[in-house]
Amino acid sequence: MVAIAAHNIQMSFMSGTTETKVLKGIDLAIPSGQIRLMMGPSGSGKTTLLSILAGILTPSAGQVELLGQEITQLSRKQLTVFRRDHIGFIFQSFNLFPALTALENIELALQLKGKKGPGNQEIAFDLLKQVGLGDRVNNLPADLSGGQKQRVAIARALAGEPELIMADEPTAALDSSTGRDVIELMQYLAKNKGCTVLIITHDPRITDAADEITYLEDGLLASESSLVTGLH
Amino acid sequence: MVSLARKNLLKDLPRFLVAQAGIMFAVSLVTIQTGILKGFTRSTTLLIDSSEADIWVASENIVNFELTEPFPYVQVRQAEEVEGVARAEALTIGSGRWYSDGKLTTLRVFGFDPNGDLFRPGDVSDNSMQALNAPYSALIDRTNMRSFRIDGVGDTARIRQLPVMVVGLTRDTQSLVSSKFVFTSLVNANAYISSGFSAGLTCQLGEGDITCINAFQREPDAANADVADPEPLKADAPVTYVLVKAKPGENLQRLKRRLESELSGTKAFTKNELITSTQAYWQNRTGIGFILGLGAIVGVIVGMVVVAQILYTSVSENLREFGTLKAMGASDWDIYSVILEQSLWMALLGYVPGLLLCWGVGTWTAATQGIVVLITPLSAVGVLGITVVMCVGSAVFAIQKVTRVDPGIVFKA
Ligand SMILES: Nc1ncnc2c1ncn2[C@@H]1O[C@H](COP(=O)(O)OP(=O)(O)O)[C@@H](O)[C@H]1O
Ligand SMILES: [Mg+2]
Repeated sequence: MVAIAAHNIQMSFMSGTTETKVLKGIDLAIPSGQIRLMMGPSGSGKTTLLSILAGILTPSAGQVELLGQEITQLSRKQLTVFRRDHIGFIFQSFNLFPALTALENIELALQLKGKKGPGNQEIAFDLLKQVGLGDRVNNLPADLSGGQKQRVAIARALAGEPELIMADEPTAALDSSTGRDVIELMQYLAKNKGCTVLIITHDPRITDAADEITYLEDGLLASESSLVTGLH
Repeated sequence: MVSLARKNLLKDLPRFLVAQAGIMFAVSLVTIQTGILKGFTRSTTLLIDSSEADIWVASENIVNFELTEPFPYVQVRQAEEVEGVARAEALTIGSGRWYSDGKLTTLRVFGFDPNGDLFRPGDVSDNSMQALNAPYSALIDRTNMRSFRIDGVGDTARIRQLPVMVVGLTRDTQSLVSSKFVFTSLVNANAYISSGFSAGLTCQLGEGDITCINAFQREPDAANADVADPEPLKADAPVTYVLVKAKPGENLQRLKRRLESELSGTKAFTKNELITSTQAYWQNRTGIGFILGLGAIVGVIVGMVVVAQILYTSVSENLREFGTLKAMGASDWDIYSVILEQSLWMALLGYVPGLLLCWGVGTWTAATQGIVVLITPLSAVGVLGITVVMCVGSAVFAIQKVTRVDPGIVFKA
């Protein structure tokens, strides 16, 4: 089954009177349960594509299908609900809520997903244990290292058990060995929970965590995707 | 439940406290202005309010509670005869000057029957009331002690040329728009009011001529020594109101009309009618409602500016957080409720100390200035409502800002 599918995605931005075409017709299919890396030079349109695939941006043309549902037709409100129910996000700058402890950051995500009650605290604690932060639950983000922050973010993305995880440069703010640990953790948890994962990255050292790699260049997929797992 | 609103609010504690101080003062401004208006308005009718009379009969030319024409005392006796009247008592109001330690204060003297039931000058003991039966005795309000230069019960002074001894103290009587009140018996009041301009001259009506004895030589403070007791009330002595207690079950509107037709040249009011018309008179006459209302509006505006500024800054600083919430699937309402919750916390945490401050200030001004900042449960709830509207209204600016956040912000490094 295909979890993430894109057909002829095009995206243009107007800056002043000039129109810049950032995505020039992207076709993509990511099977369910796969970990897909998307690589490409800076400015090639990776973040724009991720935003479109996640239903945050609406493409100028083309369709996106997530989990068999065409999302390009959905209203803004329906898209919000879809993201809430099916997608977990991981960001380059972590985007944790600085006033909340690690535990509260995850509880808030659970609350947002409509989960109420005292059970949330246990679920959040359990998720933090899974990312190896069982002893850091009451720390504020400011008191955590970069790698620890991104682990909290991973736990938060997994809250509510989404089918899809989308990560934009999750290791860019981390040193390479920490980055590796974080990606390995993502890989382990995603496989464990059967999530489909799309990771945008610059980092060539994490390619072996991927099932498949897509290269984006100048708004187009550069070549046929290579099956990394097949090469090993 | 994790409250992002509360946590974000307390994240920068000093800034939060400054904001709360701003809201607290805005709340205080509104409360004090409306409280003074209420206290002022109520002060004009304290005496009517505390009386036991059902109906007040005045001259038909009445302008306000204290500005009206007198009518002869005999009409009080006539009122007693009117059907449905259980009891009628006289109240006379006049003005005068109070001399104490060589200083002068204008006063308003109220003469009533200390043995009667219908007029009660505030919170005063029965002993003090009985003491008014003595010649040249009077009660004053505690808040006027300084103005009258009186240290306590037993002190003496002069009203016009006549002596006066303070035999008791009362409270909650003084109107803020009037001269200082003095309460005494009808007989004493009549003497004080009619002692008139004949200061220093004693005139006697002889046969066809008037004999006046010039008394200028007399020492003013020696006046107390050789003054004759006040004369009993004559039938034509001027009185200002007839206070009427109706028989049980009597229709007050009908009784009013009967009284007006039996007592020529009069106009009758129920207690509430006189209160309402007197308060309305002073509010319109002085424009105080407008002035204090303006102060209250300034308070609300200051509060709104403070809250709007804080919320807007808070939202601007946390735009990425709101973007993240949106990406994670927070509905617009989820996001607005974070801002609204912040504004409600600010409202509540500014309101409570603000009200306490006003309560303290009000207690102080009532004790020392005679100015009552009246905070009723209703006005307290009203100010809470205004505070909430003020804070929530300010949240609109912050919400505007959030709705325009670029969703792509979450991916920026
Ligand atoms: N909101 C926007 N308005 C105008 N131009 C944009 C906007 N977002 C991205 N772009 C442009 O699109 C191009 C691709 O950006 P992006 O998707 O962020 O690339 P990448 O993530 O691969 O570095 C860049 O040239 C960028 O300037
Ligand atoms: Mg990017």
